[in-house]
This record gives sequence, structure tokens and C-alpha cells, in this order.
Amino acid sequence: MALLTREIEALVGMESEEVAACDRVERGAVRRFAQASLDDDPIYYEASAASERFGGPVAPPLFPMTMFRDDFGSADVLSERAADPDFDGIVGATVQGLPPLPVSGLALLNGGTEVELFAYAPHGSRVTSKSRYEAIYEKSGKSGPMLFVVIATDYMAEGRLLLRVRKTQIRR
Amino acid sequence: MAGAQQIFFDDVILGTEIPALVKGPLSAPILMRWSAAIENWHRIHYDRDFAVNHDKLPDLAINGTLKQQLVAQALRRWAGPAGWLWKVSFQFRALNKVGETLRIWARVVGKRELPDYGLVDLELGIVNDAGAESTPGTAVVALPYRHRGAGVPYPFVPPDSK
Repeated sequence: MALLTREIEALVGMESEEVAACDRVERGAVRRFAQASLDDDPIYYEASAASERFGGPVAPPLFPMTMFRDDFGSADVLSERAADPDFDGIVGATVQGLPPLPVSGLALLNGGTEVELFAYAPHGSRVTSKSRYEAIYEKSGKSGPMLFVVIATDYMAEGRLLLRVRKTQIRR
Repeated sequence: MAGAQQIFFDDVILGTEIPALVKGPLSAPILMRWSAAIENWHRIHYDRDFAVNHDKLPDLAINGTLKQQLVAQALRRWAGPAGWLWKVSFQFRALNKVGETLRIWARVVGKRELPDYGLVDLELGIVNDAGAESTPGTAVVALPYRHRGAGVPYPFVPPDSK
């Protein structure tokens, strides 16, 4: 049975809206991220010869990927599901603002992540992201056909591309 | 990386490993601190009862996103203040559990000369105390030449888009 329908193929190239992270790159958020990732690089907090190349203190390279969070006024999923013993705590979308794949009953596996880095997000900058279905193809595996779905997300700040992240989801 | 030594493309030898980054033991408070910093409330990282009895994991899981940071950190340290980590990819093949010490390694598998700087291709991974590999991947790092070329541009401009 083929999984790759015309309806799914038609999603290739579809783009999301450009979405802004709810907060700017804040020094406190950068500090917590850097400390929590066990990385004491001074470019994250002080103006120095090392950070001069980047125009001043910057966020860690992959920081923009974690900036898209629930803003003030968002539904509080943790409270809504506080009495649900099966709630795994995961909040947020898996398709980055794109319409979900029209499939049902297929498991979702993480097939890997590829990151291209172009620049770091300066303190105080506003980060936006935009995603697209870059490729969708089918392969046959031991347990039958599998769909490979490549979602590319660009992260930008101050008109500059920071990161391009390609996540491959496997649906089977 | 203030005062860090710069490695030059000329000095990189095919087949050699970059200095490993060793972090750990990665305790439950360290995992909790990471989850809080990125507002990831997935219970398998801090709720042992849920991880073991509901999701049937051996113990709390070290976050894949934390492992990504450690890989980027190891490569950036090696690239030095005038280098640039251009590409990095990961596959999460196996779980690392709380309390493990992780060793991030990378080996030079290719070198490409461009006019202003060189590109170094690497294979990489993360092994735990027991020597088990969990996160195979690849990377491309741009390094300046010692005596020629304009250096690695910032913001980085990929060579095929010039």
C-alpha cells in the first residue's frame, strides 16, 4: 500500500506564516540557557575581543530553536491536563505552523536533525521563524512503507538568516 | 573562548580526532535545569515514576536538545574564535540516561580548500561511560588558512551561494 498520496505530495513547498518569538533575546534567558547547557563562553554575556566579531554579546548558536514558547494569554495546557496521569508533558506543535500531514494511525519517529548556521542572535534582537515542507518521499522498510517528511525551518533576526534547520520525521 | 588558540586549516590532519568534550555525570538536577531553561515539560526528563512505569524507559532520559548543545559546543571550541561551525547533523539512535557521563567526539574525514578559507568534514558522536554510541552525526567546520585568504566571513556565507 502506497502512503504517498497526491494530497500529501501537494504539500511539498508549502510554507508557514512568519512567526515571531514571544520574547526578544533576553540576557537572563541567555544566561539560564548557557548555564544549563554547561557552556561558559564569554561571548554570551560580555563585550570583548571575542564577541566583537559578532557585534557584541550573542545567544548560543542553537538558542533561536527554543525561543518559540507560549506567550501571555495562551491556554495553560499543564493546568488543563494536570489530572491526566497519561499526559506526557509535551506542549506545542510538531509541524511548526504547517498544516498536519493528512495521515492517520501512523507513528511519528525522529529521523534526525540537520542544522546550518549563518549567524548568532544578538542580545535584544527579535527572532522570527518560517517553515516549509521541503521534501516528502516514501521508502520501503522491513515493517512496510515509510514516509520521510523533511521540514525546513529558517530562523531570522534583524533581517538576517541565523539558522536553517531540517528535521526529518518518519511516519510508518 | 576568550584567549582561545586558533587552529588553522593547514594544521588539520585527516583521520585525527578533535579534543573530546566530556560532560557529566549528568544528574537529575542538571537535566531539570535544562528542561526549565528551554521550558520543555516532557516528563521523561524529570519524573522518574512516569519515565519508568508509564513510558517503560530504564530511567530519566537525557534531553536530545541538551546533547545537541554539547556537540555544537565541542565543535565551536575546536573551530576557535576565527572559525565557524557551518553544518551539524545528528541522529538520536539510543537513549542516554540520567547519571551518565557523555564524551563528545569528532574525527576529520575530509578537507576542502576554498579561496579564502577551508572546509573540514567531520564524523561525530556521543559515547557514554560504557562506550555505547547514541548520537552519530556529521559536521562541516570552516577554518582560516594560516598565511593566506581573507578568513571565514561573518555572517557566514556558504560557498555555493557566492
